[in-house]
Amino acid sequence: MQIPYATYPVGNSLYPLALDLFVPTVFFFFLGASYRVFRYLVTYQKPFIPYPSSELRQVSSWNKIANLVNTFANSSRVGIKRKPVTTGVGLLFHIALVLIIFLLAQHMVFWAYYIPPYSALFPLAIPESSEDGLLALTTPNHASITEFVHDIWGPLTVILNGQFLTFFLIIFLGIYLGHKLLLAIEGLSLRAGDWWFFVLLYIDILLGFFATAHIPSNVYWYDNLLGAHILVAEIIIATLPFTRGFHMFEFYLGKVREWYFMVYRRGEK
Amino acid sequence: MSVTMGQESINLDALKRAIDDVFYSQIDSTILYYLQSCVNCKACEAACPFTPTSLKYSPVNKAEIARQLYRSRFTVWGKTIGRIIGGSKKYLNLEEAETMADYVWHCTNCGACMFVCPMAIDSGALIDLLRQVAFRAGMAPKIYTDIEQLEVSGKYWDIPVFRDAWNNLILKMKEVIGKDIPLDKKNSEVLFYASIYEAMVYPDVLVKVAKILDMLGKDWTFMSKPLGIRPPVGLVIGDKEGALNVMKKVYAYFTEMSPKYVMLTAGGFEYPALRYTMHEVLKVQPKYEVVHVTELLAKWYEAKEFEIEPIDEVITWHDPCQLGRRGGVFEAPRVLMKALSKNFKELPSHGVNSFCCSRGGGGCGLPSMVENMAKVIGIPISEKDKKFLDSTLEPLIKAGKIKVNEINKIKASEVLTGCPVCIESIGFSIDYYHANAKVNHIIELLADRIKVTKK
Ligand code: SF4
Ligand code: SF4
Repeated sequence: MQIPYATYPVGNSLYPLALDLFVPTVFFFFLGASYRVFRYLVTYQKPFIPYPSSELRQVSSWNKIANLVNTFANSSRVGIKRKPVTTGVGLLFHIALVLIIFLLAQHMVFWAYYIPPYSALFPLAIPESSEDGLLALTTPNHASITEFVHDIWGPLTVILNGQFLTFFLIIFLGIYLGHKLLLAIEGLSLRAGDWWFFVLLYIDILLGFFATAHIPSNVYWYDNLLGAHILVAEIIIATLPFTRGFHMFEFYLGKVREWYFMVYRRGEK
Repeated sequence: MSVTMGQESINLDALKRAIDDVFYSQIDSTILYYLQSCVNCKACEAACPFTPTSLKYSPVNKAEIARQLYRSRFTVWGKTIGRIIGGSKKYLNLEEAETMADYVWHCTNCGACMFVCPMAIDSGALIDLLRQVAFRAGMAPKIYTDIEQLEVSGKYWDIPVFRDAWNNLILKMKEVIGKDIPLDKKNSEVLFYASIYEAMVYPDVLVKVAKILDMLGKDWTFMSKPLGIRPPVGLVIGDKEGALNVMKKVYAYFTEMSPKYVMLTAGGFEYPALRYTMHEVLKVQPKYEVVHVTELLAKWYEAKEFEIEPIDEVITWHDPCQLGRRGGVFEAPRVLMKALSKNFKELPSHGVNSFCCSRGGGGCGLPSMVENMAKVIGIPISEKDKKFLDSTLEPLIKAGKIKVNEINKIKASEVLTGCPVCIESIGFSIDYYHANAKVNHIIELLADRIKVTKK
C-alpha cells in the first residue's frame, strides 16, 4: 500500500517516513531547547552574596564532594523510607527505561547510525529476547550481529532483555498512569503536560513491543508499527522542551544548583 | 476544610492587582525553574509536615495555583489551550481565592520539599509568592496582620507588657551576673540579639546566655530596647514591604553597634532573614556576621575555652528548618551535643531531612500562644480569627505524631533544639501524645555544664 504524504514518495510503509523525519525532529528539539534556555538567560539575576566568606563555616572539599552524591541520592533515600511503593516503582521504571532506550541492541544500531562513536558501547548491548539473544528481526542472522548481542550480560539476559524490560515498563508506566487517574478523581493537581508526555510514552512502548514481537506477524505490519514507533518517539523528542520529558536534562541542573547553593557555598549562603 | 479569613470578605479586584504585581515583578530564572520544571511526581509529599493532614496540602498541590497563574501569563500553551482545559488561570474566582488562602497557611516555608524533590524545586518559595498575593489582597488573617503592624509601626514599644518583659529580662540578667550588663555598647565582639517574643517565651534561656558570655569573659553587649516583636515578622505573613522597613531599622542598629558577631538564640525564620535576606534585599555586605549561639559556642569549645561536663542520658537534636536547611547550621550544634552526652543520638529524620514541626513561618506558632499574645497586647480576637487559629491545630497534631514517634524510636529523654517555636510545638506534641521526653533550648542544659578553662 502506498501511503500519501503530500507529493513526497513515502514508499510503502511509515518506516522510511519516520527515518526521514529524524533530522528535522532533532532540529525542532534544539529550537525548543534553545527557547527554554533563552528564557532562563533573560530572567537570570546575579545573586547578591552578603558574606564573601565565613570563618565559622569551613567545610572540607572532600565533604562538599561527598555531599554532591548525597544531593542526588537524597530524594530516593527519603522516598524509599516514606513512600516505598511509588518510589520503588518510579526508580525501577527509570532504570528500565534508560536501559531500553540506550542499550537495547536495536536502539543502539539506530543511535550509532547517527552518532557513530556510539558503537563503542556495542559490547553492552541488550538483546531483544532472553531465548536467542539475537536481534529478533528475521532469519538468517548475521554472525557478527549474534556476537554483538552476546557480549557481557551472560545469564543476566534473563532479566536484561528487551521483552522483559518492556513488560516491566508497560506494567509500571501503567501503574503510574493509573495513579494519575486516581489523583484526578481526588481533585489533586494534574496538568495536561503530564498526560501528553506519559501517554505518548506509553503508546510508544506498546508500538515498539508490538513491532519487535511481530504482533501481528507480517512484514507489512512490522514496517508500519516500527515506523509508528519511531514517529511517536520523534513527536516526544520534538516536544520535549515543552513537556515533563525535559526533566531528563533539567534534573542535573536542579540538583547541581541545589548542591552549589546549599552545600558548596553553605558558608556564604 | 476551608480556613475562614480574618477579613469580612475577599476583594477580588484587590486580588487581581496583587496577582499582577507579585507575578510580574518576581519571576527570575530560579522561580522560573521552579514554576516550569516540576514533573508532578509528588515525591515532595514525603517531606511536607502538612501532607499527613491531607494530600491536598502536598507541596506540589499547593504550589499548583502559582503555576496556573504563571502559565496564563508566561507560556504559549497557558495563554491558549491551557485556559480552555483549566491548566492556567489569569485570575482566581472566589472559591479559588479561598483555596489559595487556605493553602498558604499550610506551609511553613520549611524547605524540606526542595531537598526531597528530584528536581530540587522549592515549593515553599512558590507558596510564599501566593502568601504575598494573599497579604496584598487583604486576605491574611487579621490577628497576624495586627501583630505585624505593631512591629512595622514601631508601636510595640508603647505596650506595657512588652516593656515590662524586656526591662525585667535586663534586671534578671544583672541579678544573675551580679553586676550591670553592657547595653548598646559599640564595637564589642558579640552583640547579643533577642526579640520581644523570646523575652516572653524563654527569658531564662536569654539570662543563661548572658551568664555564659560573662563567665567566658567575652566582650559583649545586649540591647536596651528590642528591634521588634519578632523582626521581620512581615516576611512570614507575606508583607515584603513591611519586612523591608523593619529590616532597614535592624540593619541600621547592627551597623551602628558594629560588633564582630550578632548572636541569635532563635533559629527560626529570623536566622536566615537577618543573616541572609536582610543583606540580600538591602544589597549590603555587612562588617559583622550574624550567627546562632551554637555556632559561637562550638567555636569557643573547639578553641578549648571551656569544657562540657557530659550527662549519661540519651539526648537528641531537632534541626530547626530555618536554622538548618535554610540557614546552613548543622555541624555546630552537633559539636556541642556530642560533648553534652556520649548518648547523643540523631532523630531518624535529621539534617536536611529534619521533619518540620508544622509551626513557624506560615504556621505562626501555637494557636494558644498567638491568642495569649493578642490578649496581653489588647488585640481583639474575632470569631473568624478564632476559627482560623483553631484550624491550625490539626496539622500540628498530625505532624507532631510523626515527631513524637521518632523521639520514642530512639528513646531520647531530652530533645534539644535552638528555636523557640520548635520548643513550643514539640513540647505540645510530647504532652499531647504523653511521650516520655522533654524539649528544651540547648542553652538550658549547656549553661550549667560549662566549665571555663581559660579567660
Ligand atoms: S517532588 Fe518536585 S518535581 Fe515532584 S511533584 Fe514535587 S515539586 Fe514537582
Ligand atoms: S516548604 Fe515545608 S511546609 Fe511548605 S510545602 Fe515545602 S515541605 Fe511543606
